[in-house]
Amino acid sequence: MHPATSPTANTPATRAHRTPFGRRRLLRGVAATAVVPLVLGVAACGDEASSDPDAPVTIEFFWWGGESRAELTEQALDLYEEKNPNVTINPTWQAFTGYYDKLATISAGGNAPDIFQIDDNGLAEYAGRNVTLDLTPFVESGDIDLSNHPESLTQYGQIDGKQVAVAAGENTPALVYDKTKITELGLPEPETGWTYDEFIAWGAQVTEAAGGDYWGAMDPSSDYKALWLWLRSQGKEFYDGPQLAFTEADLTEWFQFWLDAREAGATPPADVVHEAVGGGVSDQLVVTGKGATSFMWSNQLSELGKSTESELGMVAYPGDPKGQWARASLYWAGSRSTEHPEVVADVIDFLANDPEAAQILGVDRGLPSNIDNRETVQAGLDDPYMTATVEFENALIPQMGPAPAPPPQGHGPLRSTLTTVAESVTYGQASPADAAAEFFRQAEATLE
Amino acid sequence: MTTKPAPATTSTTAPVSPNRRRGSAKGGSRRHGEGLAGYVFLSPWLLGLMAITAFPMLFSLYLSFTNYDILSSWEFVEWVGFENYWDLFVNDQTFRHSVQVTLIFAFVAVPLKLAAALGVALLLNRETRGVGLFRSLFYLPSLLGGSVALALIWRAMFSGDGAFNDFLGLFGITGQPWVNDPDWALETLMVLAIWQFGAPMVIFLAGLKQVPTELYEAASVDGAGKIRQFFNVTLPMLSPVIFFNLVLETINGFQGFTAAFVISNGTGGPVDSTMLYTLYLYTKGFTEFQMGYASALAWVFLIAIGLITVLFFSTGRFWVHYSDGDND
Repeated sequence: MHPATSPTANTPATRAHRTPFGRRRLLRGVAATAVVPLVLGVAACGDEASSDPDAPVTIEFFWWGGESRAELTEQALDLYEEKNPNVTINPTWQAFTGYYDKLATISAGGNAPDIFQIDDNGLAEYAGRNVTLDLTPFVESGDIDLSNHPESLTQYGQIDGKQVAVAAGENTPALVYDKTKITELGLPEPETGWTYDEFIAWGAQVTEAAGGDYWGAMDPSSDYKALWLWLRSQGKEFYDGPQLAFTEADLTEWFQFWLDAREAGATPPADVVHEAVGGGVSDQLVVTGKGATSFMWSNQLSELGKSTESELGMVAYPGDPKGQWARASLYWAGSRSTEHPEVVADVIDFLANDPEAAQILGVDRGLPSNIDNRETVQAGLDDPYMTATVEFENALIPQMGPAPAPPPQGHGPLRSTLTTVAESVTYGQASPADAAAEFFRQAEATLE
Repeated sequence: MTTKPAPATTSTTAPVSPNRRRGSAKGGSRRHGEGLAGYVFLSPWLLGLMAITAFPMLFSLYLSFTNYDILSSWEFVEWVGFENYWDLFVNDQTFRHSVQVTLIFAFVAVPLKLAAALGVALLLNRETRGVGLFRSLFYLPSLLGGSVALALIWRAMFSGDGAFNDFLGLFGITGQPWVNDPDWALETLMVLAIWQFGAPMVIFLAGLKQVPTELYEAASVDGAGKIRQFFNVTLPMLSPVIFFNLVLETINGFQGFTAAFVISNGTGGPVDSTMLYTLYLYTKGFTEFQMGYASALAWVFLIAIGLITVLFFSTGRFWVHYSDGDND
């Protein structure tokens, strides 16, 4: 650096005389280049704000998922563009990891996408902070038609009495098991309605019959959805408004139950469980072959099936199926800062109700939200696992309990807390009672 | 590293100052004009500094006294005084835990990394065949730096059924689940950090080449063996370079983030064993939406690193020997 600066310092005066650019001219040039994009930017904004219904409109659209979901979603959006030539939709998608980080960052910058995919883990965080567009007026005016959606599914998209999102599909937690392995061992397949004790006894039997090659059951003690269903199957709840609805004793019992299950040989050691819980679809035990069961979502069966050579089956989580409810697997939400709320509502309505769109989207995000579309979509499925998903859901619907409210603000951090304290038990660092106490201590600070 | 260019610069800049003085004597306005031109040429950097560094820093200082949560609009941002700082020091157990994890990480990984760098630099500080190739090979890992791909490979290698355990299996050793074991996960991260010793190694190599050979000759004439020469000639002559590396690597060590983030899937797990300070800060800001609190964490971090650096500089005069200082 020094050698470079010293010659210029030696000759600044002569340089100034020789150069064809005067200082003023240079400054004017700098000013002009700075101003031009500014003006263009303003002009572009003015263009977009026009209220002419046929004026070109651009919508930013953001979701997470794999490649097959991207393909289907883009096809459906293309169809919308075809029907509405003035609308251009810019789709952006990525894997789940980092999705919420990115959504938070761009929302903070005031550039939230006009429409984005969200799930019940994030809904309250975003709706409670007024990031989402209030869709209530569009539902009331019929621009978004929810009349053929199950009542509980619609309710699960409401926060503080506002319709803040529309279900993109319906799913439930589901226990996926490796049919090939179980059949080889000559053991019975698990059934919906088994008690947890029955499930653990079966798991221990599988582990023993497998002779140490894999484990029969999985340990979901760090998984909030398993805990939630376990509570609901006993008539309890996870949340009551913004508060926890269960007790420290409940949680201690939950941790103790899984500790005993491991000692009985039913579930794998902590590190194997940790790898599956923290990982994606490809890290699940039914895919890696380290276990015969995984605690998943019903719409993931097809993706799991593609990642393993074994044949997979699916039943409900153990416990009374009344713990299940018609849950929005994912939602479509609009951004409050959008310049085209009507178009946003129209696109959401199209994705949620249009029969052709439903046909394209299939059951990738779960059963279609619109009941009228379910039969036609099911008839058009050529993936046996997707058909199995629909059959599983349809069989479960009559046994379901009422839908709870979506989880409150603070649910995200609380899930991480549950994972950390549950693993402190499985790794033998804390007793179930101490871990439960720690969870409640942290939950108090998170949910205050 | 810094010693060699120094004389060169002083010699070239020396004529400049009288030149400038002459210019100013002729006319004050012209000097003023030159100053302006200087600022114009400086402006890209200066504007960058203001817009990209200074403003965000001061803004985060302001945010650290608020309840800013990223998503809510500005009218909901409230001034909370020192509440964030109070919570942090009084109530936050995860904060204390993350400080502990970070200190262990930095104070174990940095000295070992420097030792490895110096050791390999000594081995490579000779003109034998293919030494250039070895220097490049040893430097390679640090080129990959904080890369995500490397962290992913590390995770795959050091998982329960990863390549490293397969390797141990060849010798009949049953491995650990490493990254999936709270007792070993942090150590695995340390090994990754130590493995990337290339950057300090190159600086050590440059430093070793600066040590005058006369000193070694004189020492061997006085009957000093290789080990004695290392401790009485090499180390003191190298001390400015060691100091430079120590300060830089310590600061880097405290800021370790990528590997911990990738290997733990952003959770700092298992059981918070890899919850480095920066990872905790990130979690607070971006997944728990407590950006005001995260800003407070960032400022505490900045001040702590500043203090540690000051501490290094204040102890430096007891063990760092600058050769030009001896001439005074």
